[in-house]
Amino acid sequence: MHIRIRKDWELPESAATDEAVACSAGLGRRRFLRALGAGLAGAALAPALRAATGGFPSAPDAAYPAGDFKITPENLATSYNNFYEFGTGKDDPVVAANRGWKTEPWTIELAGEIEHPGRWDVNDLIAKLGGIGQRVYRHRCVEAWSMVIPWNGFPLAKLVALAAPRASAKFLKFVAFNDPSSAPGQREPILDWPYVEGLRLDEATHELAFIATGMYGKPIPNQNGAPLRLVVPWKYGFKGIKSIVRIEFTARQPRNTWQQMAPQEYGFYANVNPTVDHPRWSQASERVIGGGFFSGKQPTLMFNGYEKQVAALYAGLDLRRNY
Amino acid sequence: MNTLLARLLQSRAFVAACVVAPGLWPAWPLFVTGDSSVAADPAKYVLHHLGFTAACVLVAVLLLSPLRAILPRWRPVLVVQRHRRFVGVSAFVYAALHVAMHFVYEGGFATFRTDWQKPFILVGLVAFGILFILAATSLDRVVRALGSRRWKWLHRLVYVAAVLVLYHQISARKVFPEQVLWLFGPLVVAELARVGRAVVRGMGRDAGDRALGGGSGAY
Ligand code: HEM
Repeated sequence: MHIRIRKDWELPESAATDEAVACSAGLGRRRFLRALGAGLAGAALAPALRAATGGFPSAPDAAYPAGDFKITPENLATSYNNFYEFGTGKDDPVVAANRGWKTEPWTIELAGEIEHPGRWDVNDLIAKLGGIGQRVYRHRCVEAWSMVIPWNGFPLAKLVALAAPRASAKFLKFVAFNDPSSAPGQREPILDWPYVEGLRLDEATHELAFIATGMYGKPIPNQNGAPLRLVVPWKYGFKGIKSIVRIEFTARQPRNTWQQMAPQEYGFYANVNPTVDHPRWSQASERVIGGGFFSGKQPTLMFNGYEKQVAALYAGLDLRRNY
Repeated sequence: MNTLLARLLQSRAFVAACVVAPGLWPAWPLFVTGDSSVAADPAKYVLHHLGFTAACVLVAVLLLSPLRAILPRWRPVLVVQRHRRFVGVSAFVYAALHVAMHFVYEGGFATFRTDWQKPFILVGLVAFGILFILAATSLDRVVRALGSRRWKWLHRLVYVAAVLVLYHQISARKVFPEQVLWLFGPLVVAELARVGRAVVRGMGRDAGDRALGGGSGAY
Protein backbone atom coordinates (compact mmCIF):
# COMPACT_ATOMS: atom_id res chain seq x y z
CA MET A 1 0.00 0.00 0.00
CA HIS A 2 1.22 3.44 -0.87
CA ILE A 3 1.12 5.78 2.06
CA ARG A 4 1.62 9.38 1.27
CA ILE A 5 2.76 11.64 4.04
CA ARG A 6 1.45 15.10 3.51
CA LYS A 7 3.88 17.89 4.13
CA ASP A 8 2.32 20.49 6.34
CA TRP A 9 2.57 23.20 3.71
CA GLU A 10 0.39 21.16 1.44
CA LEU A 11 -2.93 22.42 2.68
CA PRO A 12 -5.63 19.80 2.79
CA GLU A 13 -8.30 20.24 0.20
CA SER A 14 -11.63 20.87 1.69
CA ALA A 15 -14.55 18.74 0.65
CA ALA A 16 -16.52 21.90 0.07
CA THR A 17 -17.52 22.38 -3.51
CA ASP A 18 -17.61 25.76 -5.16
CA GLU A 19 -21.32 25.80 -4.89
CA ALA A 20 -21.48 24.98 -1.20
CA VAL A 21 -19.12 27.82 -0.43
CA ALA A 22 -20.99 30.16 -2.72
CA CYS A 23 -24.18 29.45 -0.82
CA SER A 24 -22.54 29.93 2.53
CA ALA A 25 -21.57 33.37 1.26
CA GLY A 26 -25.19 34.25 1.75
CA LEU A 27 -26.06 34.33 -1.91
CA GLY A 28 -28.64 32.07 -3.41
CA ARG A 29 -27.20 29.83 -6.08
CA ARG A 30 -29.24 31.38 -8.85
CA ARG A 31 -28.38 34.89 -7.84
CA PHE A 32 -24.78 33.97 -7.41
CA LEU A 33 -24.55 32.53 -10.89
CA ARG A 34 -26.38 35.50 -12.30
CA ALA A 35 -24.03 37.84 -10.49
CA LEU A 36 -21.06 36.18 -12.11
CA GLY A 37 -22.72 35.59 -15.42
CA ALA A 38 -22.09 39.04 -16.77
CA GLY A 39 -18.42 38.95 -15.90
CA LEU A 40 -17.87 35.47 -17.15
CA ALA A 41 -19.77 35.99 -20.36
CA GLY A 42 -16.81 38.01 -21.58
CA ALA A 43 -14.53 35.08 -20.89
CA ALA A 44 -16.86 32.56 -22.47
CA LEU A 45 -17.23 34.56 -25.66
CA ALA A 46 -13.53 34.73 -26.24
CA PRO A 47 -12.04 31.89 -28.23
CA ALA A 48 -9.79 29.48 -26.34
CA LEU A 49 -6.61 31.52 -26.23
CA ARG A 50 -5.17 29.80 -23.20
CA ALA A 51 -1.58 28.84 -23.22
CA ALA A 52 0.57 26.41 -21.28
CA THR A 53 -1.77 23.48 -21.64
CA GLY A 54 1.17 21.15 -21.07
CA GLY A 55 0.53 18.62 -18.31
CA PHE A 56 -3.25 18.91 -18.34
CA PRO A 57 -5.71 17.62 -17.51
CA SER A 58 -4.54 17.54 -13.94
CA ALA A 59 -7.13 16.20 -11.54
CA PRO A 60 -7.22 17.53 -7.98
CA ASP A 61 -5.19 15.26 -5.75
CA ALA A 62 -7.60 13.02 -3.84
CA ALA A 63 -4.88 12.06 -1.39
CA TYR A 64 -5.62 15.14 0.71
CA PRO A 65 -8.35 14.56 3.25
CA ALA A 66 -10.83 17.29 4.05
CA GLY A 67 -9.52 19.79 6.54
CA ASP A 68 -10.27 23.18 7.99
CA PHE A 69 -9.30 25.10 4.92
CA LYS A 70 -11.97 26.02 2.48
CA ILE A 71 -10.92 26.40 -1.10
CA THR A 72 -12.12 29.67 -2.55
CA PRO A 73 -14.86 29.13 -5.13
CA GLU A 74 -13.22 28.96 -8.53
CA ASN A 75 -15.50 31.56 -10.07
CA LEU A 76 -14.44 34.09 -7.40
CA ALA A 77 -10.72 33.38 -7.72
CA THR A 78 -10.99 33.79 -11.48
CA SER A 79 -13.11 36.94 -11.50
CA TYR A 80 -11.94 39.01 -8.49
CA ASN A 81 -8.47 39.97 -9.68
CA ASN A 82 -5.87 42.64 -9.23
CA PHE A 83 -4.18 42.77 -12.63
CA TYR A 84 -3.70 46.49 -13.29
CA GLU A 85 -2.48 45.80 -16.82
CA PHE A 86 -6.17 45.24 -17.54
CA GLY A 87 -7.66 47.95 -15.31
CA THR A 88 -7.72 48.83 -11.63
CA GLY A 89 -11.20 47.43 -10.93
CA LYS A 90 -11.25 43.90 -9.52
CA ASP A 91 -13.80 42.93 -12.17
CA ASP A 92 -11.92 44.54 -15.08
CA PRO A 93 -9.35 41.81 -15.89
CA VAL A 94 -11.86 38.97 -16.40
CA VAL A 95 -13.33 40.97 -19.26
CA ALA A 96 -10.42 43.01 -20.60
CA ALA A 97 -7.87 40.16 -20.57
CA ASN A 98 -10.18 38.03 -22.69
CA ARG A 99 -10.72 40.40 -25.58
CA GLY A 100 -8.20 38.85 -27.90
CA TRP A 101 -5.02 39.06 -25.84
CA LYS A 102 -2.95 36.10 -27.03
CA THR A 103 -1.14 34.07 -24.39
CA GLU A 104 -0.24 31.29 -26.78
CA PRO A 105 2.33 30.78 -28.14
CA TRP A 106 4.41 32.31 -25.36
CA THR A 107 8.10 32.32 -24.75
CA ILE A 108 10.01 33.04 -21.62
CA GLU A 109 13.59 34.20 -21.60
CA LEU A 110 16.17 33.13 -19.03
CA ALA A 111 19.01 35.61 -18.83
CA GLY A 112 21.73 37.16 -16.70
CA GLU A 113 24.28 35.46 -14.51
CA ILE A 114 23.52 31.89 -15.59
CA GLU A 115 25.16 29.05 -17.48
CA HIS A 116 22.15 28.31 -19.67
CA PRO A 117 20.53 31.47 -20.97
CA GLY A 118 17.92 31.16 -23.66
CA ARG A 119 14.31 31.37 -24.74
CA TRP A 120 11.80 28.68 -23.98
CA ASP A 121 8.39 27.95 -25.35
CA VAL A 122 6.25 27.55 -22.23
CA ASN A 123 4.92 24.09 -23.12
CA ASP A 124 8.42 22.88 -23.98
CA LEU A 125 9.65 24.24 -20.67
CA ILE A 126 6.94 22.39 -18.73
CA ALA A 127 7.81 19.14 -20.51
CA LYS A 128 11.51 19.70 -19.86
CA LEU A 129 10.88 20.26 -16.14
CA GLY A 130 8.87 17.04 -15.81
CA GLY A 131 5.27 18.21 -16.06
CA ILE A 132 3.07 19.86 -13.50
CA GLY A 133 1.80 19.16 -10.01
CA GLN A 134 -0.80 20.67 -7.75
CA ARG A 135 -0.46 22.64 -4.53
CA VAL A 136 -3.07 24.26 -2.39
CA TYR A 137 -1.78 27.53 -0.99
CA ARG A 138 -3.14 30.38 1.03
CA HIS A 139 -3.11 33.65 -0.87
CA ARG A 140 -2.92 36.89 1.13
CA CYS A 141 -3.35 40.21 -0.66
CA VAL A 142 -1.67 43.32 0.72
CA GLU A 143 -5.18 44.83 0.78
CA ALA A 144 -6.03 42.53 3.72
CA TRP A 145 -8.12 39.89 2.00
CA SER A 146 -7.30 36.26 1.39
CA MET A 147 -8.16 33.20 -0.67
CA VAL A 148 -7.14 29.54 -0.72
CA ILE A 149 -6.21 28.42 -4.22
CA PRO A 150 -5.24 25.07 -5.75
CA TRP A 151 -2.43 25.93 -8.15
CA ASN A 152 -0.99 23.73 -10.88
CA GLY A 153 2.56 24.19 -12.01
CA PHE A 154 6.13 23.43 -11.02
CA PRO A 155 8.56 24.44 -8.27
CA LEU A 156 10.56 27.53 -9.19
CA ALA A 157 13.65 25.68 -7.91
CA LYS A 158 13.46 23.36 -10.94
CA LEU A 159 13.59 26.29 -13.29
CA VAL A 160 16.50 27.82 -11.37
CA ALA A 161 18.36 24.50 -11.65
CA LEU A 162 17.76 24.47 -15.38
CA ALA A 163 19.17 27.99 -15.70
CA ALA A 164 22.22 27.01 -13.61
CA PRO A 165 23.04 30.28 -11.82
CA ARG A 166 26.66 31.34 -11.51
CA ALA A 167 28.16 32.21 -8.14
CA SER A 168 27.59 35.88 -8.94
CA ALA A 169 23.79 35.42 -9.20
CA LYS A 170 22.15 36.57 -5.98
CA PHE A 171 18.69 37.67 -7.10
CA LEU A 172 16.02 36.92 -9.68
CA LYS A 173 14.37 39.76 -11.53
CA PHE A 174 11.03 38.83 -13.10
CA VAL A 175 9.60 40.92 -15.91
CA ALA A 176 6.00 40.73 -17.09
CA PHE A 177 4.70 41.19 -20.63
CA ASN A 178 4.39 44.68 -22.09
CA ASP A 179 1.74 45.02 -24.77
CA PRO A 180 -0.30 48.23 -24.52
CA SER A 181 -2.26 47.31 -27.65
CA SER A 182 -3.79 44.32 -25.83
CA ALA A 183 -3.65 45.56 -22.26
CA PRO A 184 -5.68 48.76 -21.78
CA GLY A 185 -4.17 49.43 -18.34
CA GLN A 186 -0.73 49.66 -19.92
CA ARG A 187 -1.88 52.58 -22.03
CA GLU A 188 -2.16 54.58 -18.83
CA PRO A 189 0.53 55.50 -16.34
CA ILE A 190 -1.07 53.54 -13.48
CA LEU A 191 2.24 51.84 -12.73
CA ASP A 192 5.65 51.89 -14.34
CA TRP A 193 5.21 49.24 -17.04
CA PRO A 194 6.22 46.51 -17.49
CA TYR A 195 5.58 45.07 -14.04
CA VAL A 196 8.76 43.90 -12.34
CA GLU A 197 9.25 41.67 -9.31
CA GLY A 198 12.22 40.14 -7.56
CA LEU A 199 13.30 37.40 -5.20
CA ARG A 200 16.51 36.54 -3.45
CA LEU A 201 18.05 33.41 -4.95
CA ASP A 202 17.55 31.45 -1.72
CA GLU A 203 13.88 32.48 -1.67
CA ALA A 204 13.50 31.36 -5.26
CA THR A 205 14.96 27.94 -4.56
CA HIS A 206 12.82 27.41 -1.46
CA GLU A 207 10.52 24.45 -2.00
CA LEU A 208 7.39 26.58 -1.52
CA ALA A 209 8.20 29.01 -4.34
CA PHE A 210 6.12 27.97 -7.30
CA ILE A 211 5.41 28.83 -10.90
CA ALA A 212 1.74 28.35 -11.69
CA THR A 213 0.61 27.43 -15.18
CA GLY A 214 -2.84 26.41 -14.02
CA MET A 215 -5.35 26.57 -11.20
CA TYR A 216 -8.26 24.38 -10.14
CA GLY A 217 -6.89 21.64 -12.36
CA LYS A 218 -7.14 23.71 -15.54
CA PRO A 219 -4.83 25.95 -17.53
CA ILE A 220 -4.56 29.32 -15.82
CA PRO A 221 -7.06 31.86 -17.17
CA ASN A 222 -5.72 35.05 -18.74
CA GLN A 223 -6.99 37.23 -15.89
CA ASN A 224 -4.95 35.23 -13.38
CA GLY A 225 -1.70 35.65 -15.29
CA ALA A 226 -1.59 33.21 -18.18
CA PRO A 227 0.42 31.39 -19.22
CA LEU A 228 2.71 31.40 -16.23
CA ARG A 229 2.98 33.41 -13.03
CA LEU A 230 4.87 33.41 -9.78
CA VAL A 231 3.29 32.12 -6.55
CA VAL A 232 5.12 32.87 -3.30
CA PRO A 233 2.56 31.98 -0.63
CA TRP A 234 4.37 33.53 2.35
CA LYS A 235 4.48 36.93 0.63
CA TYR A 236 1.77 39.42 -0.25
CA GLY A 237 -0.02 38.73 -3.50
CA PHE A 238 1.63 41.55 -5.45
CA LYS A 239 4.90 39.58 -5.38
CA GLY A 240 3.17 36.99 -7.57
CA ILE A 241 3.99 38.61 -10.89
CA LYS A 242 1.73 37.51 -13.73
CA SER A 243 2.36 36.63 -17.37
CA ILE A 244 6.15 36.50 -17.07
CA VAL A 245 8.26 36.93 -20.21
CA ARG A 246 11.72 37.16 -18.71
CA ILE A 247 13.67 36.03 -15.67
CA GLU A 248 17.02 37.66 -15.20
CA PHE A 249 19.52 36.49 -12.63
CA THR A 250 21.31 39.47 -11.14
CA ALA A 251 24.01 40.35 -8.64
CA ARG A 252 22.09 43.36 -7.34
CA GLN A 253 18.70 43.49 -5.70
CA PRO A 254 16.11 44.52 -8.30
CA ARG A 255 13.56 47.23 -7.55
CA ASN A 256 10.07 45.83 -7.83
CA THR A 257 7.29 47.90 -9.33
CA TRP A 258 5.33 48.63 -6.16
CA GLN A 259 8.46 49.51 -4.25
CA GLN A 260 9.32 51.97 -6.97
CA MET A 261 5.81 53.39 -6.86
CA ALA A 262 5.60 53.94 -3.09
CA PRO A 263 8.79 52.85 -1.27
CA GLN A 264 7.45 53.87 2.13
CA GLU A 265 4.50 51.50 1.71
CA TYR A 266 5.79 48.52 -0.26
CA GLY A 267 9.17 46.91 0.18
CA PHE A 268 11.25 44.33 -1.63
CA TYR A 269 10.44 41.50 0.77
CA ALA A 270 6.69 41.98 1.26
CA ASN A 271 6.53 39.01 3.61
CA VAL A 272 3.10 38.57 5.15
CA ASN A 273 3.51 39.92 8.67
CA PRO A 274 0.60 40.68 11.00
CA THR A 275 2.85 42.76 13.27
CA VAL A 276 4.00 45.20 10.58
CA ASP A 277 1.13 47.30 9.29
CA HIS A 278 0.75 49.00 5.98
CA PRO A 279 1.01 52.72 6.79
CA ARG A 280 -2.64 53.20 5.91
CA TRP A 281 -4.25 50.00 7.18
CA SER A 282 -3.71 47.14 9.57
CA GLN A 283 -2.26 43.82 8.44
CA ALA A 284 -3.24 41.99 11.64
CA SER A 285 -6.34 40.42 10.12
CA GLU A 286 -7.91 39.64 6.76
CA ARG A 287 -11.26 39.21 5.05
CA VAL A 288 -11.81 35.75 3.59
CA ILE A 289 -13.14 36.03 0.06
CA GLY A 290 -16.37 34.07 -0.23
CA GLY A 291 -16.65 34.02 3.54
CA GLY A 292 -19.99 35.78 3.81
CA PHE A 293 -21.38 39.14 4.76
CA PHE A 294 -21.12 38.85 8.55
CA SER A 295 -18.00 36.69 8.77
CA GLY A 296 -15.78 39.51 10.04
CA LYS A 297 -12.04 39.04 9.70
CA GLN A 298 -9.70 36.20 10.59
CA PRO A 299 -6.28 36.74 12.15
CA THR A 300 -3.43 36.92 9.66
CA LEU A 301 -0.65 34.42 10.34
CA MET A 302 3.08 35.18 10.38
CA PHE A 303 4.47 34.45 6.91
CA ASN A 304 0.88 33.65 5.99
CA GLY A 305 1.03 30.42 7.99
CA TYR A 306 4.33 29.22 6.48
CA GLU A 307 6.52 30.43 9.32
CA LYS A 308 7.95 27.00 10.11
CA GLN A 309 9.09 26.56 6.54
CA VAL A 310 10.47 29.99 5.69
CA ALA A 311 11.42 31.82 8.91
CA ALA A 312 14.99 30.54 8.65
CA LEU A 313 15.43 32.46 5.38
CA TYR A 314 15.15 35.71 7.35
CA ALA A 315 17.18 34.91 10.47
CA GLY A 316 18.84 38.12 11.62
CA LEU A 317 16.91 40.33 9.24
CA ASP A 318 14.97 43.24 10.77
CA LEU A 319 11.52 42.52 9.35
CA ARG A 320 10.21 45.87 10.53
CA ARG A 321 12.66 47.74 8.34
CA ASN A 322 12.73 45.18 5.55
CA TYR A 323 8.98 45.10 5.05
CA MET B 1 -37.94 72.88 -19.15
CA ASN B 2 -36.58 75.24 -16.53
CA THR B 3 -39.91 75.46 -14.80
CA LEU B 4 -40.24 71.68 -14.76
CA LEU B 5 -36.79 71.37 -13.23
CA ALA B 6 -37.63 74.08 -10.71
CA ARG B 7 -40.87 72.31 -9.82
CA LEU B 8 -39.06 69.02 -9.29
CA LEU B 9 -36.30 70.55 -7.22
CA GLN B 10 -38.84 72.35 -5.13
CA SER B 11 -40.50 69.07 -4.17
CA ARG B 12 -39.22 67.44 -1.03
CA ALA B 13 -40.36 64.03 -2.29
CA PHE B 14 -38.27 64.36 -5.45
CA VAL B 15 -35.16 65.49 -3.62
CA ALA B 16 -35.65 62.75 -1.03
CA ALA B 17 -35.89 60.17 -3.81
CA CYS B 18 -32.67 61.50 -5.36
CA VAL B 19 -30.88 61.18 -2.05
CA VAL B 20 -32.24 57.75 -1.06
CA ALA B 21 -32.00 56.00 -4.44
CA PRO B 22 -28.20 55.79 -4.61
CA GLY B 23 -28.16 54.22 -1.14
CA LEU B 24 -30.47 51.44 -2.29
CA TRP B 25 -28.39 50.73 -5.35
CA PRO B 26 -26.35 47.84 -3.93
CA ALA B 27 -29.56 46.18 -2.74
CA TRP B 28 -30.77 46.09 -6.29
CA PRO B 29 -29.14 43.03 -7.84
CA LEU B 30 -30.21 44.13 -11.29
CA PHE B 31 -27.62 46.86 -11.23
CA VAL B 32 -24.73 45.02 -9.71
CA THR B 33 -24.71 41.74 -11.62
CA GLY B 34 -21.63 42.60 -13.66
CA ASP B 35 -19.46 43.29 -10.65
CA SER B 36 -17.52 40.34 -9.30
CA SER B 37 -16.61 42.31 -6.18
CA VAL B 38 -20.22 41.97 -5.05
CA ALA B 39 -20.02 38.18 -5.04
CA ALA B 40 -16.46 38.01 -3.72
CA ASP B 41 -16.90 40.32 -0.73
CA PRO B 42 -20.37 41.84 -0.56
CA ALA B 43 -19.63 43.57 2.76
CA LYS B 44 -16.71 45.45 1.26
CA TYR B 45 -18.80 46.45 -1.70
CA VAL B 46 -21.48 47.90 0.57
CA LEU B 47 -18.83 49.61 2.74
CA HIS B 48 -17.29 51.34 -0.25
CA HIS B 49 -20.63 52.15 -1.72
CA LEU B 50 -21.93 53.84 1.42
CA GLY B 51 -18.71 55.83 1.86
CA PHE B 52 -18.84 56.89 -1.75
CA THR B 53 -22.50 57.90 -1.51
CA ALA B 54 -21.78 59.87 1.67
CA ALA B 55 -19.05 61.77 -0.17
CA CYS B 56 -21.36 62.45 -3.16
CA VAL B 57 -24.16 63.79 -0.97
CA LEU B 58 -21.68 65.91 0.95
CA VAL B 59 -20.40 67.44 -2.28
CA ALA B 60 -23.99 68.01 -3.42
CA VAL B 61 -24.87 70.05 -0.34
CA LEU B 62 -21.63 71.99 -0.60
CA LEU B 63 -22.46 72.91 -4.19
CA LEU B 64 -25.66 74.66 -3.18
CA SER B 65 -24.29 77.93 -1.89
CA PRO B 66 -21.67 78.62 -4.59
CA LEU B 67 -24.33 77.80 -7.17
CA ARG B 68 -26.61 80.39 -5.63
CA ALA B 69 -23.82 82.94 -5.76
CA ILE B 70 -22.98 82.17 -9.39
CA LEU B 71 -26.55 81.82 -10.69
CA PRO B 72 -28.51 84.09 -8.37
CA ARG B 73 -31.46 84.39 -10.71
CA TRP B 74 -31.86 80.82 -11.96
CA ARG B 75 -35.00 79.39 -10.40
CA PRO B 76 -33.94 75.72 -10.08
CA VAL B 77 -30.93 76.82 -8.07
CA LEU B 78 -33.04 79.10 -5.90
CA VAL B 79 -35.77 76.62 -5.05
CA VAL B 80 -33.40 73.79 -4.23
CA GLN B 81 -31.85 75.86 -1.44
CA ARG B 82 -34.75 75.01 0.85
CA HIS B 83 -33.49 71.41 1.04
CA ARG B 84 -30.04 72.29 2.33
CA ARG B 85 -30.63 70.93 5.79
CA PHE B 86 -32.24 67.75 4.50
CA VAL B 87 -29.37 67.03 2.10
CA GLY B 88 -26.76 67.91 4.71
CA VAL B 89 -28.27 65.61 7.32
CA SER B 90 -28.51 62.87 4.66
CA ALA B 91 -24.77 63.12 4.13
CA PHE B 92 -24.33 62.51 7.84
CA VAL B 93 -26.73 59.54 7.75
CA TYR B 94 -24.81 57.92 4.89
CA ALA B 95 -21.54 58.52 6.72
CA ALA B 96 -23.05 56.90 9.83
CA LEU B 97 -24.16 53.87 7.81
CA HIS B 98 -20.67 53.68 6.28
CA VAL B 99 -19.06 53.74 9.72
CA ALA B 100 -21.54 51.13 11.03
CA MET B 101 -20.75 48.99 8.00
CA HIS B 102 -17.07 49.32 8.81
CA PHE B 103 -17.70 47.53 12.09
CA VAL B 104 -19.72 44.81 10.37
CA TYR B 105 -16.86 44.39 7.90
CA GLU B 106 -14.29 44.17 10.69
CA GLY B 107 -16.49 41.78 12.66
CA GLY B 108 -16.70 43.97 15.77
CA PHE B 109 -14.87 46.75 17.54
CA ALA B 110 -11.71 44.89 18.54
CA THR B 111 -9.65 46.05 15.54
CA PHE B 112 -10.70 49.66 16.05
CA ARG B 113 -8.71 49.87 19.30
CA THR B 114 -5.53 50.14 17.24
CA ASP B 115 -6.86 51.07 13.80
CA TRP B 116 -8.11 54.51 14.79
CA GLN B 117 -4.49 55.63 14.98
CA LYS B 118 -4.01 55.14 11.25
CA PRO B 119 -4.13 58.58 9.64
CA PHE B 120 -6.57 57.23 7.07
CA ILE B 121 -9.06 56.08 9.72
CA LEU B 122 -8.38 59.02 12.06
CA VAL B 123 -9.16 61.49 9.31
CA GLY B 124 -12.41 59.63 8.56
CA LEU B 125 -13.24 59.68 12.25
CA VAL B 126 -12.67 63.44 12.56
CA ALA B 127 -14.73 64.08 9.42
CA PHE B 128 -17.47 61.92 10.87
CA GLY B 129 -17.27 63.81 14.19
CA ILE B 130 -17.73 67.10 12.33
CA LEU B 131 -20.71 65.80 10.38
CA PHE B 132 -22.20 64.54 13.63
CA ILE B 133 -21.85 67.95 15.31
CA LEU B 134 -23.33 69.71 12.29
CA ALA B 135 -26.26 67.29 12.14
CA ALA B 136 -26.87 67.65 15.87
CA THR B 137 -26.85 71.45 15.65
CA SER B 138 -29.34 71.43 12.78
CA LEU B 139 -32.33 71.05 15.05
CA ASP B 140 -34.40 74.24 15.11
CA ARG B 141 -34.08 74.56 18.84
CA VAL B 142 -30.29 74.33 18.74
CA VAL B 143 -30.03 76.78 15.86
CA ARG B 144 -32.03 79.32 17.86
CA ALA B 145 -30.03 78.70 21.00
CA LEU B 146 -26.74 79.18 19.17
CA GLY B 147 -27.72 82.32 17.36
CA SER B 148 -27.20 82.61 13.62
CA ARG B 149 -23.74 84.15 13.82
CA ARG B 150 -22.24 81.36 15.88
CA TRP B 151 -24.21 78.76 13.96
CA LYS B 152 -22.84 79.99 10.65
CA TRP B 153 -19.33 80.03 11.99
CA LEU B 154 -19.66 76.50 13.34
CA HIS B 155 -21.10 75.22 10.12
CA ARG B 156 -18.09 76.41 8.14
CA LEU B 157 -16.48 73.27 9.59
CA VAL B 158 -18.18 71.44 6.76
CA TYR B 159 -15.35 72.63 4.49
CA VAL B 160 -12.83 71.04 6.81
CA ALA B 161 -14.88 67.84 6.67
CA ALA B 162 -14.86 67.94 2.87
CA VAL B 163 -11.07 68.24 2.71
CA LEU B 164 -10.70 65.37 5.21
CA VAL B 165 -13.10 63.20 3.21
CA LEU B 166 -11.12 63.92 0.05
CA TYR B 167 -7.93 62.71 1.76
CA HIS B 168 -9.76 59.70 3.23
CA GLN B 169 -11.19 58.68 -0.12
CA ILE B 170 -7.87 58.96 -1.93
CA SER B 171 -6.00 56.98 0.70
CA ALA B 172 -8.58 54.16 0.69
CA ARG B 173 -7.08 52.96 -2.60
CA LYS B 174 -3.66 51.70 -3.64
CA VAL B 175 -3.54 53.96 -6.68
CA PHE B 176 -5.11 57.39 -7.12
CA PRO B 177 -8.85 56.93 -7.68
CA GLU B 178 -9.89 59.00 -10.67
CA GLN B 179 -13.46 59.38 -9.46
CA VAL B 180 -12.38 61.98 -6.89
CA LEU B 181 -11.62 64.31 -9.81
CA TRP B 182 -15.12 64.29 -11.20
CA LEU B 183 -16.60 64.24 -7.71
CA PHE B 184 -14.65 67.09 -6.10
CA GLY B 185 -13.69 68.84 -9.35
CA PRO B 186 -17.06 70.58 -9.86
CA LEU B 187 -16.99 71.77 -6.26
CA VAL B 188 -13.56 73.32 -6.67
CA VAL B 189 -14.64 74.95 -9.95
CA ALA B 190 -17.83 76.33 -8.37
CA GLU B 191 -15.94 77.73 -5.38
CA LEU B 192 -13.33 79.33 -7.64
CA ALA B 193 -16.12 80.85 -9.72
CA ARG B 194 -17.74 82.22 -6.59
CA VAL B 195 -14.49 83.75 -5.40
CA GLY B 196 -13.68 85.03 -8.89
CA ARG B 197 -17.08 86.66 -9.14
CA ALA B 198 -16.72 88.30 -5.75
CA VAL B 199 -13.29 89.64 -6.68
CA VAL B 200 -14.46 90.98 -10.03
CA ARG B 201 -17.45 92.63 -8.36
CA GLY B 202 -15.28 94.04 -5.63
CA MET B 203 -12.92 95.55 -8.20
CA GLY B 204 -15.87 96.93 -10.09
CA ARG B 205 -17.11 98.63 -6.95
CA ASP B 206 -13.68 100.08 -6.19
CA ALA B 207 -13.36 101.35 -9.73
CA GLY B 208 -16.82 102.87 -9.51
CA ASP B 209 -15.99 104.52 -6.19
CA ARG B 210 -12.85 106.07 -7.60
CA ALA B 211 -14.66 107.26 -10.70
CA LEU B 212 -17.05 109.08 -8.40
CA GLY B 213 -14.15 110.66 -6.58
CA GLY B 214 -14.95 108.76 -3.42
CA GLY B 215 -13.22 105.77 -1.93
CA SER B 216 -11.45 105.37 1.32
CA GLY B 217 -8.73 107.61 2.56
CA ALA B 218 -6.20 104.85 1.99
CA TYR B 219 -6.01 105.84 -1.63
C1 HEM C 1 -14.96 56.59 11.77
C2 HEM C 1 -15.02 57.02 10.56
C3 HEM C 1 -14.70 56.23 9.31
C4 HEM C 1 -14.15 54.97 9.16
C5 HEM C 1 -13.68 54.00 10.24
C6 HEM C 1 -14.06 54.72 7.74
C7 HEM C 1 -13.54 53.56 7.19
C8 HEM C 1 -13.36 53.34 5.83
C9 HEM C 1 -12.78 52.17 5.26
C10 HEM C 1 -12.26 50.98 6.04
C11 HEM C 1 -12.78 52.34 3.92
C12 HEM C 1 -12.33 51.33 2.86
C13 HEM C 1 -10.88 51.08 2.81
C14 HEM C 1 -10.58 49.78 2.12
O1 HEM C 1 -11.06 49.55 1.02
O2 HEM C 1 -9.87 48.97 2.70
C15 HEM C 1 -13.34 53.62 3.63
C16 HEM C 1 -13.49 54.15 2.37
C17 HEM C 1 -14.16 55.32 2.11
N1 HEM C 1 -14.76 56.13 3.03
FE1 HEM C 1 -14.69 55.96 5.05
N2 HEM C 1 -14.57 55.79 7.06
C18 HEM C 1 -14.98 56.73 7.98
C19 HEM C 1 -15.57 57.96 7.72
C20 HEM C 1 -15.93 58.38 6.46
C21 HEM C 1 -16.69 59.58 6.17
C22 HEM C 1 -17.19 60.58 7.22
C23 HEM C 1 -16.85 59.65 4.81
C24 HEM C 1 -17.57 60.65 3.93
C25 HEM C 1 -18.45 61.50 4.27
C26 HEM C 1 -16.19 58.49 4.25
C27 HEM C 1 -16.09 58.22 2.91
C28 HEM C 1 -15.37 57.19 2.35
C29 HEM C 1 -15.13 57.04 0.94
C30 HEM C 1 -15.60 57.96 -0.17
C31 HEM C 1 -14.36 55.87 0.79
C32 HEM C 1 -13.79 55.30 -0.50
C33 HEM C 1 -14.74 54.34 -1.13
C34 HEM C 1 -14.17 53.83 -2.44
O3 HEM C 1 -12.95 53.78 -2.59
O4 HEM C 1 -14.98 53.49 -3.30
N3 HEM C 1 -15.65 57.74 5.28
N4 HEM C 1 -13.70 54.21 4.82
